[in-house]
Formats: sequence, C-alpha cells, structure tokens
Amino acid sequence: MWKETREREFGNIRPNLFSSRISKSRVSSIRLSNYKEIVSSHRGSVNSLQVDLTEGRYLLAGASDATVAVYDIERATDYDGGGLIAKHKSLFVVNKQHEHGHKYAISSAIWYPIDTGLFVTGSYDHHINVWDTNTTHVVMDFKMPGKVYRAAMSSIARSHMLIAAGTEDVQVRLCDIASGAFAHTLSGHRDGVMSLEWSTSSEYVLKSSSTAQSSSAKARAPQKKLANGNALKPHAVCRISSQVKTAKQRSHPGMLSSHDRATGHYGVVTGLKVTEDGMYLLSAGSDSRLRLWDVESGCNTLVNFETARLQSSKAIQMAVSQDSSLAFVPCMTTAKAFDIWSGQTKCTFRGHYENVNCCWYDALNQELYTGGNDRQILVWSPSKSISDEVDEWRKEQAATVDQDNWSD
Amino acid sequence: MSIWNYVVTAHKPTNVTHSCVGNFTGPQELNLIVAKCTRIEIHLLTPQGLQAMLDVPIYGRIATLELFRPHGETQDLLFVATERYKFCVLQWDAEAAEVITRAMGDVSDRIGRPTDNGQIGIIDPDCRLIGLHLYDGLFKVIPFDNKGQLKEAFNIRLEELQVLDIKFLYGCPRPTIVVLYQDNKDARHVKTYEVTLKDKDFVEGPWSQNNLDNGADLLIPVPPPLCGVLIIGEETIVYCSASAFKAIPIRPSITRAYGRVDADGSRYLLGDHNGLLHLLVITHEREKVTGLKIELLGETSVASSISYLDNAVVFVGSSYGDSQLIKLNLHPDAKGSYVEVLERYVNLGPIVDFCVVDLERQGQGQVVTCSGAYKDGSLRIVRNGIGINEQASVELQGIKGMWSLRSASDDPYDTFLVVSFISETRILAMNLEDELEETEIEGFYSNVQTLFCHDAIYDQLVQVTSTSVRLVSSTSRELRHEWFAPAGYSVNVATASATQVLLATGGGHLVYLEIGDGVLTEVKNAQLEYDISCLDINPIGDNPNYSQLAAVGMWTDISVRIFSLPDLNLITKEHLGGEIIPRSVLLCSFEGISYLLCALGDGHLLNFVLNTSNGELTDRKKVSLGTQPIALRTFSSKNATHVFAASDRPTVIYSSNKKLLYSNVNLKEVSYMCPFNSAAFPDSLAIAKEGELTIGTIDDIQKLHIRSIPLGEHARRICHQEQTRTFAICSLKYNQSSVEDSEMHFIRLLDDQTFEFISTYPLDQFECGCSILSCSFSDDSNVYYCVGTAYVMPEENEPTKGRILVFAVEDGKLQLIAEKETKGAVYSLNAFNGKLLAAINQKIQLYKWMLRDDGSRELQSECGHHGHILALYVQTRGDFIVVGDLMKSISLLIYKHEEGAIEERARDYNANWMSAVEILDDDIYLGAENNFNLFTVRKNSEGATDEERGRLEVVGEYHLGEFVNRFRHGSLVMRLPDSDVGQIPTVIFGTVNGVIGVIASLPHEQYAFLEMLQTNLRKIIKGVGGLSHEQWRSFYNEKKTVDAKNFLDGDLIESFLDLSRNRMEEISKAMNVPVDELMKRVEELTRLH
Repeated sequence: MWKETREREFGNIRPNLFSSRISKSRVSSIRLSNYKEIVSSHRGSVNSLQVDLTEGRYLLAGASDATVAVYDIERATDYDGGGLIAKHKSLFVVNKQHEHGHKYAISSAIWYPIDTGLFVTGSYDHHINVWDTNTTHVVMDFKMPGKVYRAAMSSIARSHMLIAAGTEDVQVRLCDIASGAFAHTLSGHRDGVMSLEWSTSSEYVLKSSSTAQSSSAKARAPQKKLANGNALKPHAVCRISSQVKTAKQRSHPGMLSSHDRATGHYGVVTGLKVTEDGMYLLSAGSDSRLRLWDVESGCNTLVNFETARLQSSKAIQMAVSQDSSLAFVPCMTTAKAFDIWSGQTKCTFRGHYENVNCCWYDALNQELYTGGNDRQILVWSPSKSISDEVDEWRKEQAATVDQDNWSD
Repeated sequence: MSIWNYVVTAHKPTNVTHSCVGNFTGPQELNLIVAKCTRIEIHLLTPQGLQAMLDVPIYGRIATLELFRPHGETQDLLFVATERYKFCVLQWDAEAAEVITRAMGDVSDRIGRPTDNGQIGIIDPDCRLIGLHLYDGLFKVIPFDNKGQLKEAFNIRLEELQVLDIKFLYGCPRPTIVVLYQDNKDARHVKTYEVTLKDKDFVEGPWSQNNLDNGADLLIPVPPPLCGVLIIGEETIVYCSASAFKAIPIRPSITRAYGRVDADGSRYLLGDHNGLLHLLVITHEREKVTGLKIELLGETSVASSISYLDNAVVFVGSSYGDSQLIKLNLHPDAKGSYVEVLERYVNLGPIVDFCVVDLERQGQGQVVTCSGAYKDGSLRIVRNGIGINEQASVELQGIKGMWSLRSASDDPYDTFLVVSFISETRILAMNLEDELEETEIEGFYSNVQTLFCHDAIYDQLVQVTSTSVRLVSSTSRELRHEWFAPAGYSVNVATASATQVLLATGGGHLVYLEIGDGVLTEVKNAQLEYDISCLDINPIGDNPNYSQLAAVGMWTDISVRIFSLPDLNLITKEHLGGEIIPRSVLLCSFEGISYLLCALGDGHLLNFVLNTSNGELTDRKKVSLGTQPIALRTFSSKNATHVFAASDRPTVIYSSNKKLLYSNVNLKEVSYMCPFNSAAFPDSLAIAKEGELTIGTIDDIQKLHIRSIPLGEHARRICHQEQTRTFAICSLKYNQSSVEDSEMHFIRLLDDQTFEFISTYPLDQFECGCSILSCSFSDDSNVYYCVGTAYVMPEENEPTKGRILVFAVEDGKLQLIAEKETKGAVYSLNAFNGKLLAAINQKIQLYKWMLRDDGSRELQSECGHHGHILALYVQTRGDFIVVGDLMKSISLLIYKHEEGAIEERARDYNANWMSAVEILDDDIYLGAENNFNLFTVRKNSEGATDEERGRLEVVGEYHLGEFVNRFRHGSLVMRLPDSDVGQIPTVIFGTVNGVIGVIASLPHEQYAFLEMLQTNLRKIIKGVGGLSHEQWRSFYNEKKTVDAKNFLDGDLIESFLDLSRNRMEEISKAMNVPVDELMKRVEELTRLH
C-alpha cells in the first residue's frame, strides 16, 4: 500500500488501479480477524448473511432458531484486548417470541436494496416477511406454498420492488412489495427451487436453481428467467442446460473429455452467485462441483475448480470478491477462496467447528463474514500489524490469568 | 468557512496527457492538438513556431484523443472519449474559429468491470469503425456507415481479461485488431482478431505470437507498405506480422510514448521513463522487413506523448516535467545529443505537495510546489499578480504628481523625473554615475505645484502650473514662451501631448493650446456649464504626437464628454450615474481597439469602447479596483501598451484576446506612477507610495508568475520555517544506471530566498521521507523540523518500521536533536497542543516532547488511537483531529486532556478512498477522494442520538475531475481587509495535473445568487462536444452518481465575463439582475485567485 500511495500521488498509477490493487492485495491476505469479532445472538445455525447495499454497514443474519439479527459492522459496541479488539453485538434480535416472528428456521434474510428501512426474511414456516427495520414490525407477509429456501431482491432494480422466492414448489414466485401481491409466477423448474439470484446487469433477469429428486436426479443446470414487468408472460432468455449440449465451445480445446459432457451439475444445485460485473454466474452443486457460466452465452466457461466437499443437504450462500477474482465457498467446516479464472484454491479458512452455510464478502472493508452450524459468525479480515500488540496484551492477560490460577 | 463553496481554477492543468498531429483546421494547415486532461489546445504550425488557435475546456477527463479522416473528407476530425464514458467527434468551423460537434454519445455499459489499465480508444486506419476497450472482457465497436456517420455501437466479448494494449492493423481487408494481453500466469502474448461487422463478432485473426517480453506494454501498428506491428518491451523490441518476426534487444527501459516520424512508418521516436529519446528504424528491402535498429538521440523531459511535427521538429508532451518543442539535428552536439530544445512549456504537474508562504512579507501569498517527478522534479514558486522589482528608492513625502521628461525629442531615454509637491516642484535626473540626484530646469517654476508636464516637439518641455503654461527648451533649459491663465481664474487640471495642451480653469473654461517652435498658441476656448474634474488627450490616432479627441470629466452632472480637437466641439456626452465624480480619464488603445477609461473617486473604473471616427461610446463596463480615487497612466512594457491604475489597490489593465484584463500589482498603495525609461534603469516605472519614491521594473504582464527551481530529483514533501527563513524538503534521487529501482532519500534544507541547498541529511538505506513539519513544542522556545520516515524493505509489503526525526537549524545546518522509532510508515505529522501527532500506518499516535535528566530532549509516546486502515492524511484544530483514511473516508477524533486519550467522536460511513483532507472550520471538513471528487462533511454535535452524533453528515459533493494531493489554507492574492472578497476564507489545492485551485466559502446569499447564475450559464454556454456541465460536476464513484451539492463551478461562472454583450443580457433578463451588477459580482470573484 505504501508503494501504491506514493505512486498515486504523482500520477504514476491511476486511481482506479490503485484501489483495485490495494483491495486485491488486502483480500489475498485475509485471515481470522484479530481485531473484529461479532458476538452472535443466534442459538441455531446461521443460514444467511448480508451486509446492506446502501451504507455497507449493517450485517443482517438469519438463523435456524428463527432469529434474525442486525449487527453494525462499522461501529463496535465495546472493546476488548486493551481497546484493540472491537466487539460487535447485535443492534436488535427478532426471535420466536416476537409477535410476528417466524416459527421455524429462517433460510434467507435480505436487505431491501434501496435503503436499510426494510428487510425481508424467508422461513421454513412457509412465510416471507417484510420487516420495518426501525420498529421491527412486520409490514408485509407473503404466504408461500412451501418452505422458503431462498429470497432475493435485485440490487440494481429501480423500476420494480420484487422479491423472488424459491420454495419447495416448482414455481418461482415474484412477490411485489409495492402491491403486496404476487406479481408473477415463473415456471420452468421441475422441482423445488433452492437458490436464486437476480442478475447484476439487468433488473429484469433472475437466475434460479432447483433441487433435484434425490435418486432419479439427472443433471440440472441453473436456469435464467426473464421477469419483465411489462411483458405478460415471462419467458426464459436462455437455458444453460440445453445450450451447453449443443453449443460447441469456442476455445479451451485441451480440456478433459469429461468436461465436454458436463452440462450442469449431477445432483442438486445448492448455490448461485452472480459476479459483480454481471458477466458470470458461479454455481455449486451437491456433486461437490463448482461451475462458472458465461451469463450472456449461457456457456460453461469450463474453469476446472479444484474439488472440495460441499454440503449437499442445504443451500449454501457463496460470495465473490469485487473484482471477480476470488470466490468464497462454504466447504463443510471450512470456507475456501477459489481463484475464479484458474479454479485453484487460494486459501482455506478454518475456524468454524461445524459446517459453514453462508459467506458474505464486504467489498468496502475487504472482509469476509461466514456463518455456520456452530451458530457463530466469524469475521475474516486483512491482517493488521497490531497483532504484535494484541499478542503482547494477550500474553499479559494470560500471564495474569495463569497467576490467578496458580494462586488458587 | 461555510458549507457553500466556490471552486475555481487559478492555474489550469498543464500535464500533457495526449497529443496528435493532423490537418484539423484546414486541408493545408498542420495542427498540433494537445490534451491536458480536461482541456484541449489546438495549435497551428507556422514557420515562426507553434501558434495557439484555441484552448477549450472539456467537461470530462480525456481518456482518448485521436484524429481521423473519413472517406471523402479533406481535413481531419477529432475523436475524444472521456473517462466517464462519453465520446464526441469534433470538427473545425473555420468561419467562427471554434470547434463544432459532429457526433456524440454515451458508451457506458451496465455490465463489466472498468479496465485497470486505462481506457483504450482506437480508430481503424481505413475508417470502418471505432474500437473501444472500456470494460474487462468487452470490446465496443462503433461502426461508420458509407457516409462517414457513426452507427449504433455494439459489444463483442473479448476473452482476454488483462488487456495491455489494442491497436488496429494497417492494410487488412477486414478491420483487424491486435491485442497485447497477459494471461493468468503473468505471461504476455499478442493475438489478432478480425471484426466482422455483420455478425457483430470476432473471427480469429491472421496470426498470433506467444510468450513475449514480460515487460511488453506498447503496440505500434506499422502503416503500409510494411504493415504489421511493433511490440515494445522492457528488454526487447519485436516486429511482428503474418510473415515476419524480427527482434532486437534494447537497454532495459520502460517506453512511455512513441511518435511516428515518416508516413511510411519506417522510423519511430521512443521516449522512455528516464527521458531518453531513441530513434527506432525498421530496415526493409522491397517492402520486406529485414531488421530493426535503435539509436539514442538524447534527453528530453520524461515523455507522455510524442508528436512529430515537421522538419525534424517534435513536440514532447510530459506529465512529469515541462513539455518541450525540440529539434532533431543531423549532427550531435558536443555532448553527443541530437536533441535541441527550442521551447519549454511550463508544467506544474504533478503537484505532490506545496506550502503557502509570504516570502516578501507583503501579505501576498505565494505557493511553493513540489512539482515534477523523477529527474524532472522541481520546486515552483507560483505568485499571483504583477511584481515590481525594486531598483532604487528615495524617501519623499507628499508627492502630488510625477512626470518623466527627455532631454531631447529624439532621445530614446528619459532623463528628468519631475516630482510635484503641494507647494514646490523638484526635478530629479540621472547623473553620470547613474544615480538619481536633484537638479534644476531653470525655465520651470519650482516653488509651486506642477499640474502637468510633458515633452514637446522641437526639443521643448511643457510645464503647467495653476497660473501659467511654460514652454521650456530641453537643451538650454530656459523658458521660451509662457501662456497665462486669464486673470481671476486659475488652472485646475491640465494635460498635454507633444504638440497640444488642454487645460481647464475655474468656471468651466476649457482652453486648448497648440505648441509651436518656441510659441504657445491659444487655439480655442470653450465655456462649459460645470467645472471640469479631469481631462485627457492621450493620442490614440495615427499620429503619436497629436490627438484629435479630448476626454473631459465633469463635476456636478457626473458625466464624461468627448470633444473634437482643435475646434472643441462636443461629440459625445455620457452620464456616469451615481454621485461619485470622475477623477481620472484616459484615452487608450489596446490591440487596435480604442477605449475610454474613466476612474471614479470611490475606486470604480468604467470602461467604454470608443469609436474614434464618430466618438461613440459603447460597451460600458464597470469594475471596482479599490476604494480610493484612481489615477490612470499608460506605460509600455515588452512593446505593448498597458495602463497603470494607481490607487489603494494598484492594478495593471491590459488586453488579451481583445478582452480587458485586470491584474493586481503586488504593492500596497500607490498614489502616482509614471514610466521612467532611463539609460540606467530601462523600462522602469517610477512609483510614488507611502512616503517613498521607488524606481523598479515590472514583471511580465500576466496573472500568475511561475519561477522554476529544477532539483534534478523528486521532491515529495515541503514545509517552510519562518524563523530560520528556510524550506525543508523530503526528496529522492533515482539511480538511473539500472532498471532496478534504486533510490536515495534525503532531507534537504533550502534558503527561502535563493532556493539553494544549504544542508542535507541523507536517510538510511531503504528509508524514505514521508512527512515533514515545522513546529515547536510546549516548554521549549526552539522551532524544529520534524520528519517522518518509513523503512521500505524490498521483501515487505508494508513498512513495519519508521522513524520520527527532529532537527533544529543551527548555523544553516540541519542538526539531529532527537529520533524516535515507530512501528510503521509515518504518513503524516501535525503540531498538536504543543505535542507531536503522527499517523503511523493504521494508528494515530501522540508524542510528548520530554526533557531528559541529562538535558537532552526526546519524544515520548503519550497515547494513540487505532481503528483506521491506513491513516494517510491528518489535520488538526484545537483538540480535534480529522483523519482521512486510505478507504474509509473522514473520521473525527478528539483528544481528551483529562484522560490523556484520543477517542473517536464521529465518522463518515461512506467508502471514500481519500487523497487529501482539510478542516474548513470547527464543524465542516473537506475531503478529496480517489475518483476525483470533492466533498464536505459536517459534525453533528446537536444530534439527538449517539448514532446521529457519531455520524459526519455529507453536506457537499462535487466532481472536480482532478486528483487533489494537498489542501492548504491560504490565498494567492493580497488580502485587503476592507474589500468584500477580503473576508472570504479560502483553501488552495494542488493536483496531479498541475492545477492550482481555490475553494472559497461564500455567504449563503452570495452562494444562492451565484447558483442561479450558474444554472443560467449552463443554458447559454454549451460544453464542447455536447457534454453536459451538470453531469460533469455530479459526484461520481463506482457506487453512485449524484448531482453536485453546495459547490459551484467558478470556472463556469467566471466565463460569464467572456460572453458577448447580448448573451450577457439574455442571462441578465433571465435572472432579472442588471448586466452591470452581474459583471461586478463576477469580477469580484475573479479577485479570489
């Protein structure tokens, strides 16, 4: 950073290159944070994490014990370690006791993308609730036909306020906050929809993936839907599964033969993530495979991701770094960072005691948040050189504690 | 200061980012077009050199600039694309002598990530399409139709993600691009693609080349007949085409710019990072390339663009030093260089740091910048206004008038200086020792006040006193003739030319005399209704000795009248309005236009354009120059006529581009001025001020004066110490012998008058100076220089060690008094409550200055504050500390005395990557960020909740379009407490492009008024290329674009003064404010810089 700062001041590197280089070097050095801790208020596995898109300040977490909590990730509630370790306790928690609280696990908790005044939760109790953040009251409630696996709102939409919901049902429903009704149902899947994502390039494009029946499962590819508010009938802009079979790949001639056949995933598609630039879609399957799709053509880019065991029973939430160079994927009890273009594992984050369910990458701080079945939310951040001081402080503390122990 | 800010450029960008050569203004005219980031300059190549034709602002940062010629056109068009994804095609309108927009558009996309390596814009040599690489993985094509019009753009996917350069190949049946890219393993390759417009896709091109030089960074397409491409690396240069591959090794260097010499593309000029200029020759036989040759030509500024003009003359544009016009000689000079510098064009960029000082202690701020980089580093002293270089001065009280006289009509120099007092007249003359001594002219009355003196023809002098007009021989100095005022009347005011005298006596009598050989003839006498307050017959016609018009200012009806001479017929009468009488009138002519200037008793100046044939007065304009009566006098400097307005705020009035300009003179108060061009003091002025008569020369007549102090090394930080009259700088010298970066860092002490190095403290190996401060500590009366450093180890990403060095200046030497090791780079140092506040990596640390038992001093850490990513920029005020973080915007800390602790008080939660911060006042802080924006935040002490109090509220946002490195409080102009603008607090900023700008905090009433004016100006003044001003100034980053708020664009507002009268009137009508009022208020603002 020192060198970049110096080069920037006399115009030797462009400001945008400056910020992307620093972000890149910082994200490549992240590890379990030694200066930031989130004090989890959840008594069940953390299923969903999202930092708000407007201020980048409030972390929304949804957990299996039907709790949803908001944490301020910028402003610590108290400090530990001689003022060096910031503790972030939740600003508020909504749990089962709340009059409108969910009854069963929350699978998905998302912010309203335009401001932090609203957030949306989807639960296994067949409900999607829209909450007023300030009063923590439910302002809208959508009854769904089955367990809600995933809810998503478009981060770029300016002309609609649709929540796309993937449930046990084969149809994806678009819930309109403006009217409180279902705006559309999108058909195309043959089974429940486990994961969905709005396109980051067009506000009318939604990508969803479905579960497959356990035994008879043939490969199911992620599918994209066009949900155009003006058009009466939504129609699929393309289906990756069919495309890949017919379209001959333009390049990558030397790839393994097995990849040529690979149409999607063998098994359930458990996670989807669109890259920030809107050009690629990353998918994870219960076949423990990751695939990267070119959104425009619907082709598999045939990036050969290193194999890692992925959780197959549950939807996972992946994250992608801002410059689309790294993908953060929950891999059983660890989270891994993959280089998107080479598929290599760049880093493995070990810290959770049980399976990791969700990742959220905070591009403003270059920090990664992970939530797992061990009810913890861990912060992974670029290392700071205060570690010496923290260690010193810890040693001192340990020494005093030890003495106390001895004196007993 | 306030939240209502006015941003104006005092020094325009000078960093040359692009340049190109072509026939833009006419089929036969060769033009050099230079882009200076946000401005375009068009020059015409003439046998005398470069002649400026146009200099226009662009509402955008220019990303690409290309000349091209569609089929069937006889001259070139200019393609400009801006960094905010707008493009336009410009064409020259010869009649109006301005550029017109032929096409424009927006090429932004929703998808894709902006390229890291800068935007690329290229035009097919056969003019079939424009290619743009703006986002990773996308290549945008704008096709031309048969008529040369642009069609709808489309994107093609580009597989290569890390693109370094793209160029079109010459001589291809289908448009073909060559792409230089880097793969995942950091190897570099080139590949060609054909663009098929029908399918809107790429087809694999004719050839590719893998595994090039790891430093390959630049492609040069070679025109027919050779075709192909040159690939410039750090260690090799390769020529590549479908059929040939030739490579030569070169001395390791990074090529930054190239220019093609011949139309057939066999020779190229390459400029590298050390400023060395090479000639690359492609040898060929029968259109087959046989090899490459490279030859060193010499040294120039580090080039950012090279344009070969004609006849071995080359324009070298530079970002790091002065741009140059060079000539390539056939034979080397004594040093073996073929390069001869013909002209240098000042470039202040990059301004890395600067300080505001008042070296002359006149209350006039000067800016001393650390400019340039690498070997072209320099200090620049930038001063506003015109300086008088004092050469002699005498103490003389009560001067009432001054005139210089020659000893003979054909003498080129003045000999006598007539100085008039209330009851006597003294005559000074140059003696043989070139000293001014008192002398006598026998024919003059010396015991009365002189009203006017002038040289007359036939070796005569004229003296006008209250009783008579005396004609004296300048050789014998004896009286030859005398004209007496009529009995009962005394002469009140008088003026004269070489052949005429015009005077006014009491009772409104106007008397006109003509001068003959030894005789004064009363030609005409007129009786006016009121008394006369001032008059002038400065000849502005063809005859420099005889005026055909007389200007007369009147009491009572407050008018100015034009009379014809010799018959004293009234031609024009212009009422001035108001109650202030005219105190000085002057007829003068600038650039062929005649003006009547009329100065009032309250410091206002009116000017009119005068039609000399019918005496008509038009284009009345009123400006305020000062508060005291003004005396106008012409003088000439560098063969041009200027007017000196002597008053409490002396001003020089001159004309540029047929527009009158006012530039203040750096003197406090001048009562009279007269030119005094003596043999010993040529081109000098005699100036009467505050009991003193000064003779001095005047600077070049322009607004900003820049003095360069070349250092030969790169200065990064500067500060001034008033007490020791020194500057200290942190600088570094690059070792040029190898490509391996080896640098030596120094702390240098400079004398603040001579700017010579007087002492140097070399830093350790790998140690770099990062910050410097002059301060004193509590309980210690000495002043010190404190320097913060960092040890930049080659194997470390981030410095983990640094030092704070405390120096005292003793006998002109830097003496190290104390040092303190730190755990990181010391990015910033501030004096804080008699202590030292340092920003060390992510920490803010406060140090006490402690006296040790042995009497020596040391820095002792008191307390600190964590919680930043990198605390790069820190400013303090009282107990408050404002921190600009690397990427976390601005935070406000407070030092608590009782607890001896620093705590965070509030923060701006936006993700701004900062480049500079400043405290405007207790509550409002100013920041500049990475995306060229400015913003202000306000402390919210009255917030109801902790959350509200803990948040800095964003109150102003503005896109400056410049990368600001430093803010400093201060002003470039002399501050007069009694003027309106004198009360306006200002902050100066310096940018990478060499811009010096001023941010002024306005009262709300004025802001609201100017905002209305700005809105109206946006409707009248259209941006070049159809670019919108509103969009340009909107705050813009990756996350959001919002309209500018609480900032005004002074450059746009001040361009009001350049408008024609009827367009001004349009605005005046729309705003319902008189034109004069608008002009007055805008002109006041121009005095801020």
